[in-house]
Amino acid sequence: MERIMNKLSESVLDKFSMDFLRSQVLKNAYGNDDTVIAALDPRILIVWYLFFGLVPWFVNDLPFLLGCFLLVMVTTLLARVAGLVLLLFALGVFSQTGYLFLATLLFGGDASAIAPLLVLTLKVATISLASVTVFSGLDPDRLSSGLMWYGCPERLSFSISYAYRMLPMLMEEFQNVLLSYRLRGNPPAHDTLRGKVRYLIYQVKIIMESFYPLMLNTAKRSRTTVEALELRGYRYAAVNKTVKKIKLSTLKVSYNDLLFLALSALWVALCILCSTLF
Amino acid sequence: MSTEGRNTANQSQKLMIFVLTMSLYGLATLFTELIPKFQIGLVELSVEFFLFIPLTLAMLFDPLSVALGAASGELVFSEIMLGQFGGLGELEKFLTVTIGVYIAGRLVRDPKNRAMVGVAAITGTAVQLLMGTIVDIAKVQFAVEDFEAVAGLPESVFATEGFAFLNDLLFSGIFFCLLPTLYLVPKLYGKIEPLLGMAPRTAASTTSGLNPKAILVCVIGFACAIAAELAATAGMSLVEWEAEWAESGTALAAGMVVAAALAVVVLLVMKKNGQRNATC
Repeated sequence: MERIMNKLSESVLDKFSMDFLRSQVLKNAYGNDDTVIAALDPRILIVWYLFFGLVPWFVNDLPFLLGCFLLVMVTTLLARVAGLVLLLFALGVFSQTGYLFLATLLFGGDASAIAPLLVLTLKVATISLASVTVFSGLDPDRLSSGLMWYGCPERLSFSISYAYRMLPMLMEEFQNVLLSYRLRGNPPAHDTLRGKVRYLIYQVKIIMESFYPLMLNTAKRSRTTVEALELRGYRYAAVNKTVKKIKLSTLKVSYNDLLFLALSALWVALCILCSTLF
Repeated sequence: MSTEGRNTANQSQKLMIFVLTMSLYGLATLFTELIPKFQIGLVELSVEFFLFIPLTLAMLFDPLSVALGAASGELVFSEIMLGQFGGLGELEKFLTVTIGVYIAGRLVRDPKNRAMVGVAAITGTAVQLLMGTIVDIAKVQFAVEDFEAVAGLPESVFATEGFAFLNDLLFSGIFFCLLPTLYLVPKLYGKIEPLLGMAPRTAASTTSGLNPKAILVCVIGFACAIAAELAATAGMSLVEWEAEWAESGTALAAGMVVAAALAVVVLLVMKKNGQRNATC
């Protein structure tokens, strides 16, 4: 039994290594551009998200919320989101309302608290799944051009594109710095409880310290980036209407997009019908 | 253009600072986002573990660019990239981080003065946490239906929120914001500025010191943060309207179903026609 437990905890710890996190993030960012959701027009999806990200907050009707939740669950499955993101979502939703329920019991409440909390849980879950669908299922470049079409500041779409291109490099660099610190350091023994605490403090300290070289390196890199951007006249292009038009010319609304909207509307209308009948 | 003796950054240097803060803080928050958060209700029992990064940079560079860079780095890297974007609610975090970092950066006149750096770091963290706490309490009050009626809920919310605030400030605030900032600011001072082609900040610099205008802007920003959060959670009158309409609207709902179904059918037919035309 003990051996099984040991093995289990080992494999869980294995999963949460740096490389695992990196591959999950990269998979989430780049891995699924061939899904049904990714092929849709970003502008349509953003409108869709605005509906499912806002409306559930204002409705307290259980059948309607349940219907919305089922719909966004289906779209999340269609978007083939990375497992880690879904795990985080489940943990987040449970801890948000589950703990509140326990705390209510602790302060003298009873089971009557569960009904309003269930509504709250459904709201939170629907909204987060809708955002997971849109922001995780969509290609970052398409997302940023969609946002730009709606007149979001150029700085934001620049940040998104920059983040997706630079992230793998940044992560690798951080890992390299961290590993070199570990190679040079001498970690305290961690057999006893006190040793374990010291080991944890040591690890945190290394992470903090490794930001010193990382900051200097990133400063150099960001200067290079900005100078390259300036050479291409980035600050003028950012506010130029013609440039924007050329950039956005790839966006095209097809029948699939409208069909997606119409199907969602049909489902929502059915939910409203159900909630009026009962 | 010579940057010797200039204390205010020019446009491209501001962009450099923005990019620098965005990448660093974004990367750091990405990791914290991946570690599951310990939560009690809507209370998050964790300070922004890596808040020391924007705090440090805000004390060395132009505070406004750093604050905006940090907030958008968090938004883009950890929220949008991981698909954890919370909609309007994210605006609250964006604004509180911006204000906290900005205030900390403005407070420091001379980065070599350690006491000043420490005070500014803990003030910035406290401001950010306090705003988060107020918004959280308001959020639960508005989000949960008949908040006062559920026995024990108000007390539990105030207790957990207050506890989380104190814990965050005294424990994580000191360990993860104060100490690393005290370590990094003197070490980086004079080393990192030349890499961006700037002169180090001095006591005579124009970017330091808090003036009434800056405070006013911060207060307005905080009001916006509360408004955004409440707009995302409130809507009590809308709910009542909804209930009334739900009682009498069966016919309306049926009409909506028919209309939506028609739209689906028409679109399917049009799609088929389009494909036939394309193959012809």
